[in-house]
Amino acid sequence: MTASRPTLEDVERLARMAGLSIDPAHLPGVQRNLGVLLDQAALVLQPPIDPIVEPAALFHP
Amino acid sequence: MILLDHRSDLMGIADIAQAVRRGRISALALVESRLARIERANPLLNCFTDIMADRARRDAQAVDAMVAAGQDPGPLAGIPFGVKDNYDVAGRITTAGSIINLDRRPAADDAVLLRRASAAGAVLIGTQNMDEFAYGFTTENAHYGATRNPLDPERSAGGSSGGSGASVAAGLCDFALGTDTNGSIRVPSSFCGIFGLKPTFGRLPRTGTFPFVHELDHLGPFARSVADLALVYDMIQGFDAGDLACMDRPVEPVTPHLSTGWNGRAARLAGWFDEMADDQACAAAMRVADALGATASVNLAGAHRARAAAFVTTAASGGNLHREALHRRAGDFDPATRDRLLAGLLLPADVLLQAQRFRAVFREQVAELFREHDLLIAPATPCAAPLLGQPTIEVAGEALPTRPNIGLLTQPLSFVGLPIVTVPIAGEPMPIGVQLIARPWREDLALRAAAYLEHLGVARAASVEPC
Repeated sequence: MTASRPTLEDVERLARMAGLSIDPAHLPGVQRNLGVLLDQAALVLQPPIDPIVEPAALFHP
Repeated sequence: MILLDHRSDLMGIADIAQAVRRGRISALALVESRLARIERANPLLNCFTDIMADRARRDAQAVDAMVAAGQDPGPLAGIPFGVKDNYDVAGRITTAGSIINLDRRPAADDAVLLRRASAAGAVLIGTQNMDEFAYGFTTENAHYGATRNPLDPERSAGGSSGGSGASVAAGLCDFALGTDTNGSIRVPSSFCGIFGLKPTFGRLPRTGTFPFVHELDHLGPFARSVADLALVYDMIQGFDAGDLACMDRPVEPVTPHLSTGWNGRAARLAGWFDEMADDQACAAAMRVADALGATASVNLAGAHRARAAAFVTTAASGGNLHREALHRRAGDFDPATRDRLLAGLLLPADVLLQAQRFRAVFREQVAELFREHDLLIAPATPCAAPLLGQPTIEVAGEALPTRPNIGLLTQPLSFVGLPIVTVPIAGEPMPIGVQLIARPWREDLALRAAAYLEHLGVARAASVEPC
């Protein structure tokens, strides 16, 4: 799987690993959306964040 | 008793309720007038998913009976309102814009905010259309149809609280309660030319609403004036232990302070918020900035990353909520929702954890700005309402897919839970909204600035001919 352009096979493999069954007819839509998400994920992952920063899972402003 | 001898749609909520409390207007007549409008307009606009005429008439009669008995029904006496279809209404299945939820049991009770509005005398008139599971910005719902914009029915009302925004703009009800995860109150406010409030994350309890993204979901009101918006907000404030994210803070009424004018330090958000907005949106923000004496433009360097973090969190968290249904009944989802949620389930955990950690970093960036400014100003949407079905919008010289990109300017801000009032700025052919952004827990500052802009005539709800 590339960083931003997953193939249909990538999607099938990931779904299998995640225990999901995806209707083959839905795969192209999922593939397209996963590509968009991975583009956004790349922005989230770079640059690195100081390891001391805690996740804000339950968020209080 | 005078039943309804004048245009109550030209009055504010406080005045209408006062007339009801004094027995000069019948709550039942008020409800009948709104039901008649709904009957005429809803077939075209498709704002309501369920018109609750029986309940509305029963509740209105109860209000009238209280007045007749010399009791006070409350500051929202007889005011007809609607709720987005992800609010529980006792005895009804909360669809959240889906058919998946039709398997769920009917709600045992009304959502907490609905109960509070009712306790203040308001009368629920129906539930309102939305994007499926609140995942969208256009209210083009594959199961329940698209909601049309009352200012131009060929255009989007925005989403995901599109039915709520459009019904308030069209005068089908006097206020509405919606939800905002990534912009779902602010976008319909912008497209429909009305006022909307997304309070601080944790201010209003979400108890009794169907979740979309627990980490980001907010509730809030829509109205046609700032005074209306503030009054409704004042009536629904307060802690509730049923929502783990709700903070136990005192009720802080805003209405008494609305007329104090504006003397705060305002700044316009530049950078991302300029680059991702068209000329109309930038001009509207500039007009608001001038009116509020904002001489500074400030850059929120992490905005694009915050938007990305909100984007991936939404897909993954939403996907997680619906994992079981996506596994068993994927074909029953709106295709646009389904494919995004399934993709969200395939994201690595690493991305989600980084997004949550970035949230803490971005909160500090924002806090830094608020050390020198009381209010930040930014367009609510990259452009005014697009046509329904329009595949792309023009942003930064590029044609971007419409549905995922309408929230470019709202997502970074709700990601850190800031209180925001969207004010409508007139434009041709459509108005556009501007966000007034305050530091956490200072809804009063954003509402005061909004009231001042309304007083100056800079912000004004769009005029729609009553149906």
